[in-house]
Order: sequence, then structure tokens, then C-alpha cells
Amino acid sequence: MTKLLEVEGLAKNFGGLQVSADISMTLNAGDRCALIGPNGAGKTTFVNLVTGVIPPSAGTIRLAGRDITRLPAAERVRLGLIRSFQVARLFKSMTVREHLELAVLQRDRRTFRLFASVGKVAGLADEVAGLLDTMGLTQAAHTAVGSLAYGQQRLLEIALALAMKPKVLILDEPAAGVPHSESQRILDAIDRLPEDLAVLMIEHDMDLVFRFARTIVVLAQGRLLCSGTAKEIVADPRVREVYLGSRADAR
Amino acid sequence: MTSVAERPDPMSDPVSRHTPPAARRDLGWIGIPLVAAVGLAAYWLLPDDLALLTRIAASALFVLSLDLVLGYGGIATLGQAAMFGTGAYAAGIVAVNWINDPFAMLAAGGIAGGGIALATGALILHARGLTLLMLTIAVGQIVQEVANKARDWTGGSDGLSGIDPAPVLGLFRFDMFGRTSYLFALAVLVAGLLVARRIMRSPFGLACRGVREDPLRISAIGGSPKSYLVALYAVAGVFAGVAGALTAVTSGIVGLDSAGFPWSAEALVMLVLGGTGRLYGAVIGTAAFMGIHHILAASDPFHWMGFIGLFLIGIVLFLPGGIASGLERLGGLLRRKEDRA
Ligand SMILES: Nc1ncnc2c1ncn2[C@@H]1O[C@H](COP(=O)(O)OP(=O)(O)OP(=O)(O)O)[C@@H](O)[C@H]1O
Ligand SMILES: [Mg+2]
Repeated sequence: MTKLLEVEGLAKNFGGLQVSADISMTLNAGDRCALIGPNGAGKTTFVNLVTGVIPPSAGTIRLAGRDITRLPAAERVRLGLIRSFQVARLFKSMTVREHLELAVLQRDRRTFRLFASVGKVAGLADEVAGLLDTMGLTQAAHTAVGSLAYGQQRLLEIALALAMKPKVLILDEPAAGVPHSESQRILDAIDRLPEDLAVLMIEHDMDLVFRFARTIVVLAQGRLLCSGTAKEIVADPRVREVYLGSRADAR
Repeated sequence: MTSVAERPDPMSDPVSRHTPPAARRDLGWIGIPLVAAVGLAAYWLLPDDLALLTRIAASALFVLSLDLVLGYGGIATLGQAAMFGTGAYAAGIVAVNWINDPFAMLAAGGIAGGGIALATGALILHARGLTLLMLTIAVGQIVQEVANKARDWTGGSDGLSGIDPAPVLGLFRFDMFGRTSYLFALAVLVAGLLVARRIMRSPFGLACRGVREDPLRISAIGGSPKSYLVALYAVAGVFAGVAGALTAVTSGIVGLDSAGFPWSAEALVMLVLGGTGRLYGAVIGTAAFMGIHHILAASDPFHWMGFIGLFLIGIVLFLPGGIASGLERLGGLLRRKEDRA
């Protein structure tokens, strides 16, 4: 099996606050892994570290064998390490279609064409139409994102990640804020991803987690608590205590 | 009952629904032909004011370059005149020493303006906000000081004179009434608008809009915000350089003030007045500012700046998008009336 993403001893301190401590994990080609943990466990911080949004205090990150610990975020993206944002982070004045056009053009490094017309770039319109169709956004193609329903913004967030043709895809709570009727669409899209892609999904909705994940990693207070198959995790008493238990109590 | 179709939203216009929004924002195809038509009409209607009209056209091209930087890139700058001045001096020096063909002068200005923008942009564009503002001002001061010290080439504080451009295309002499000057300036301005619009609808323009809105999101799709900003700054530098060269061609002299801080600041005022991020807003703002200046300065030479100030405050308070946004709203109202009729 090809190791795509290898994280070793990753740690992050904000001042005196230790938000991530000694996290090690591996994602292989074809993995469908869920990262779970209570609020504030450091899941988003972990994503930010891996994708290069913030520098780690310690540890190494390798992508397909190459050390990317010091690489800027954009270069990691170019190597195929793509993430979506927990809170939709989009260009407010651009339409849905323009977002996807930009993502595809950027992926193909065709954004430094000054005198071409976006509408006439070969193959672009078809690919964008396909992405719109996959995420059910065709109707909203010409709507500016600022006036788009939040659920649809989430779908666009995923579509953007898909447009990048990732090798490793990290989805930070892709279904947060999406109506239940629409979250099926997100799972469908994830189901249709190429088999050899490694997907790490952060999610609180356990229904989604169990439907998606073959393996689960549990994070608590910035540390890896345990990892294993879905069955093992459900049976693990420590997990029940920090996560599932507290959730069940809350309900 | 308010249905989606009744919102004063350009989406409700059946024609614009199929055009990309960038096209809608510059009033579709009307904006640029309108500038050309009004410019030609002014040629017939105001034959005694051709000198003023020529200055407006050349300045509008300069303000357009600022719109590329500020309106499309979100780069705060008070040093755009550095590129204008460099372009003007380059064109003047080329004309005085080597060739005086007007198109060669424009090319020299564009290359010089783009070159200085590329070099300085790469150095300063990692900065943001106030720091960047200070750095752009500093670049302007340096260019001005270099021009001041290089007397042999630039004439120093006396200015560079003796620029005598050859006839346009070898056919049209620059006459004493300024007719050729004006028509040449208008043609260059319209060409500049067309090129700028083309660039802003290109993949590059799309990426620049993304950088302005959220640089981090651009990195998250694999782009480097800084390289877009530097490229955009250089492109705008070419426009500013050509504008400077156009001023050298049509006025025959280049002074130190062409690279000065006041000229940068004035361009910003004109752009805000007209409306940013629309291209033709630059033309409207320049025409309004310089037109009002001309009229008021003649009737009330002591207080005209005060009137401009009041006018600017009024625009910013009541039309935050500038005069152009007011026209767009008006256009929207008219269109809705037509739809109902
Ligand atoms: N830039 C920062 N500076 C200081 N503390 C931070 C910073 N970013 C995150 N934290 C803290 O780190 C902890 C982990 O935050 P993080 O967003 O990674 O949690 P999470 O597991 O994604 O939570 P959620 O499930 O709510 O999304 C929190 O206590 C948060 O307050
Ligand atoms: Mg989070």
C-alpha cells in the first residue's frame, strides 16, 4: 500500500497553550478515515498544520514520501494536498461558476493568461458544468456566493476541493450547516471519488462518520486518543468517555 | 408579492443572465462605446477646450491604471505617479534623443512604467495596509528625486522640454489647435479601456479578484497571492507609463510633478469620485474632477478646492460606489420601467 500522508510527532503551542501534542498518523491511498473528537480537541488546528496554514512547533509531515513540513500552503496544494474549510470560506462577490472556473484554471496553471477570455478556455466550460452537476449547483451557477444559502455554500466548498483533483483530501466538517436532505449529496460525491484517493473527514455527525469511514482516529485535548476500525472505536471505553459518552449525555 | 424576478438585481435582466457578472458590472457593452461617443461629441461641441479635454483623456488612462491596482487588486497605493512619471520621462527622453514617433514614445513609456512597477512591486507587495501605503509613497519620492538629480537627461526642476512628436502614422501632424492631440489621446484611452477590460475578463483577472477578496483562499487552491499582485501591479504600471507617455506626447513637456505625491493622491480622489472596480468609473471620475476644477478655478480661484472637497464628501456619503454606481442604479431603474411597459 502506498503511504500518501505521514505525520510524525506533530505539535503546536499557542503561547503556553498546547493545542496539538505528539500526533502521528498515516494515510494510505484509498483510505477513508474519519477524525473525530469533542469541540476544541484540536481537529481544525491539525488540518491547519498539515496543510501549512500555520507552522508546527514540532514534528514532520511527508506527502508521498517528500518532506513538506516547511513548504508553503500553496505548494502543498499543487502537490495534491487539498482541504475544505469548516466555515465556508469563499469569494463573496464571485458567482458559483466563477469559483469553479478559478479553481480549475489555477489547478492547470492557466491563470497567467492575460488576454484569453475565461469563457473560451478549452475544456473549461464542460468540466465546470460537470462539477456543478455533481454537487447539484447547476441552478445556482450564476448566483453570487454572497447571496447563496449556506447549505449551498458548503456544497460549493466541496466542489472546489474536488475541482483541484486531490491526492489527499481533507474535509473539515463538510456537512456542518448543510440540511440533512443535502448531506446525502455530499456523501454521494465522496463515494464517487477515485478509489486511490486518501480522504480524511472531520465530522461530528456519527451517522455520516459510520457511513463514510473505514477507519476512525479520535483526538482529545490535542492528543491522539486511539485509532482503529469503526467497530473497535465504538467499543473502546475511552472513546465513550471523552466523546460518545459526553455526546449521549448531552442529548 | 416579491418574486425573484422583481428584485432590482441584474439577474432579472434576460440578456445579462447569460453573461458573466464582470460584464454586467461595466454596463455590458455600453460603457466603452459611450466614452468614445461622448469623447467625439466633446470634440465638436467644445473646440476651444481641447487642451483641457486632452489632459482629461490622458489623466483618465492614469486613473484607470490605479483602478486596476486598487479596484481589482485591492492594493492600497499613494505612489502610482511613480509609474506615470517614469513613463513620461522615458517617452520624453526617447523623443528628444532618438526617435519621436508617438507610438514609439508610448511603447517606451509602457515598458518603463511596467518595468519600474515590476521591480518595486516585487520588493514592496509583501506588505499590507499602512506599511504598503508608506512604501508606495517612498517609491514615488525616490523616482522624483532621481529625476531631479539626473538633470542632463530630465532637465531637473526645469522639466524636460523640446519634445516634438512626429505626425501620427506619418499622416496627422500635431497642430497648434490641439485637434490631433485630443483625438490621439482619446483613441489611446479607448484602446486602453478595451485592453483593460479584456485583461479583467481573462483567467488572470478572475484570479486577481480572488486575491482581493481572500488571499488565503487563493493559497488554498494553490495560487500565490503575491505573484498575482506583483503581476497586476506591473500590468497597471504599463498603463500608467503609457498615460505618462501620452501626456508627454500631447503636452510636449514633462515636469517633476508628474511623479509627485500630489498627483498620486489626486488620482485616488478621481477614482473614488468615479467609482472603483469598473474601469469606466475612472473616466467618469477624472472628467468630473477636472471639469469641476476647470469651471470653478475660473470663477472662484481661491475656493475651488473647498467645493471639490464638499462634492467628494457628498459622493462618499450618498453614493459610496462613486458616480458610476449612481448611474448604474439609474440604469437599473430605467430598465425595470422598460420591463414593466
Ligand atoms: N490561533 C489560535 N490561538 C490560540 N488558540 C487557538 C488558536 N486556534 C485554535 N486555538 C485553540 O485551540 C483549541 C483547538 O481548536 P480547534 O479549532 O482546532 O478545535 P476543533 O477540534 O476543530 O473544534 P470544533 O469541533 O469546535 O471545530 C481550542 O481551544 C482553540 O481555542
Ligand atoms: Mg474545527
